[in-house]
Amino acid sequence: MNILMGLFHILVFPGLLFVCIIGLLLAGVDRKVLARMQKRVGPPLIQPFYDFFKLMGKETIVPHAANKTAFLAAPVIGFASLVVTMLFIPVFGYSAFSGSGDLIVILYLLTIPAVALIVGGSASGSPYAGIGISREMVTMMSYEFPLIMVLLAVAKKAGGAKLLFSLTGIVAWQQSNGSGIIHVALIPAALALLLIIPAEVGTQPFDVAEAETEICEGPLIEYSGAPLAMFKLNTAMKMFVMTSLFTCLFFGGIDTGIVALNALILVVICIVLTILCMTLIHAVTARLKIEHLFKFYWTFVAGLALCSLILVWIGL
Amino acid sequence: MFKKMIADSMSKSPWIYHVNTGSCNGCDIELVAVLTPRYDAERFGFKLAGTPRHADIVVVSGPITSQSKERLLRTLEQVPEPRCIVTLGSCPQSGNVFKGSYSVEAPIEKFVHVDVAIAGCTPKPEAVIEGLYKAAMILKEKREAMKK
Repeated sequence: MNILMGLFHILVFPGLLFVCIIGLLLAGVDRKVLARMQKRVGPPLIQPFYDFFKLMGKETIVPHAANKTAFLAAPVIGFASLVVTMLFIPVFGYSAFSGSGDLIVILYLLTIPAVALIVGGSASGSPYAGIGISREMVTMMSYEFPLIMVLLAVAKKAGGAKLLFSLTGIVAWQQSNGSGIIHVALIPAALALLLIIPAEVGTQPFDVAEAETEICEGPLIEYSGAPLAMFKLNTAMKMFVMTSLFTCLFFGGIDTGIVALNALILVVICIVLTILCMTLIHAVTARLKIEHLFKFYWTFVAGLALCSLILVWIGL
Repeated sequence: MFKKMIADSMSKSPWIYHVNTGSCNGCDIELVAVLTPRYDAERFGFKLAGTPRHADIVVVSGPITSQSKERLLRTLEQVPEPRCIVTLGSCPQSGNVFKGSYSVEAPIEKFVHVDVAIAGCTPKPEAVIEGLYKAAMILKEKREAMKK
């Protein structure tokens, strides 16, 4: 029974199937709402599903200069780590895996998709991918620092005297003390995380690594067919994983008691967050230069996160 | 089930890669116009891809200058199957006003098979959309033929 439940967790509910479908749906919402903002009709809501299945049906070309194993394994590694990340993030009161150090595990797991992109890009042997991966590394360095500070602030707030690194613990604390977002000290942290999400996912103003108009999608340049489909799926899944991490950290207080209803609320909150922090910013801004991105994250976003950290530490 | 979904999706998300082989830029602007809010080709799933590896439809414009012929053929070789080749404007088909020039290799049919030819100098955006849509339908047929 336990094995069956474990398999159900991994393959269906918080795991594989759930993340893939909701992730692609979020990507569809993003494209549709973006089109409406630009006064276009826009693609159908399930366009990312069409893209995914089409790419699955295309020929897979491995370039002559590429390292075949690393080139083909990279998207699968990124995919697997995203599924595992989702297993650790509780859907309000319901989580598949839980432990005392979830938050730290997630911090490591979240870097793996970006590292997979770097490995895949460098294995492809294209000079454009070389520029792409160097930019991807800088992007990673930019957002990791404020992300760690945001997580520390939440852990300190929830844990009181000692830091609480368990996500289930954080959600339980929110259910007795109100959602994270209503605590004044955590509002700057929430804003910072909202700005980190687009960089982590790699959408418009922060997509310097995959800029398709200047370096032809950077690390993805040599990919075609099924591996490209996996990378596109990874991007869509990252949208869902990051927004549900935000929900878990700052809206954890909502709990109806019914798992299906909770999942539905999670999806609705994720859609709102996607529109707010990805589509809206995409529609109104142009792509940054890599040095501006770095400066933005290490001054403005890190400043917000630090502000929150100080407020929490002085006990507000 | 997956096979049917793949076959159905093939015509619904064609990604375009644009090759300019010495065009006067007129056709290129019309192709971009197709993607703007007024004509919005994205409602059919069309997207401009940055690299030939991601492309399904290759749009060729210009009269194929001698310099660009070899590059064009090398680009076309890099596009994964199933793929469609669409010519944009009169230049790739006949050479148009450049016909007879020593540096123009005009009819593209001499080197590659063309699936859809959109004529005009320059073609209207409506004609471009229709041609691209036909190419998307051909993609589906090609996928089915590939499986047999």
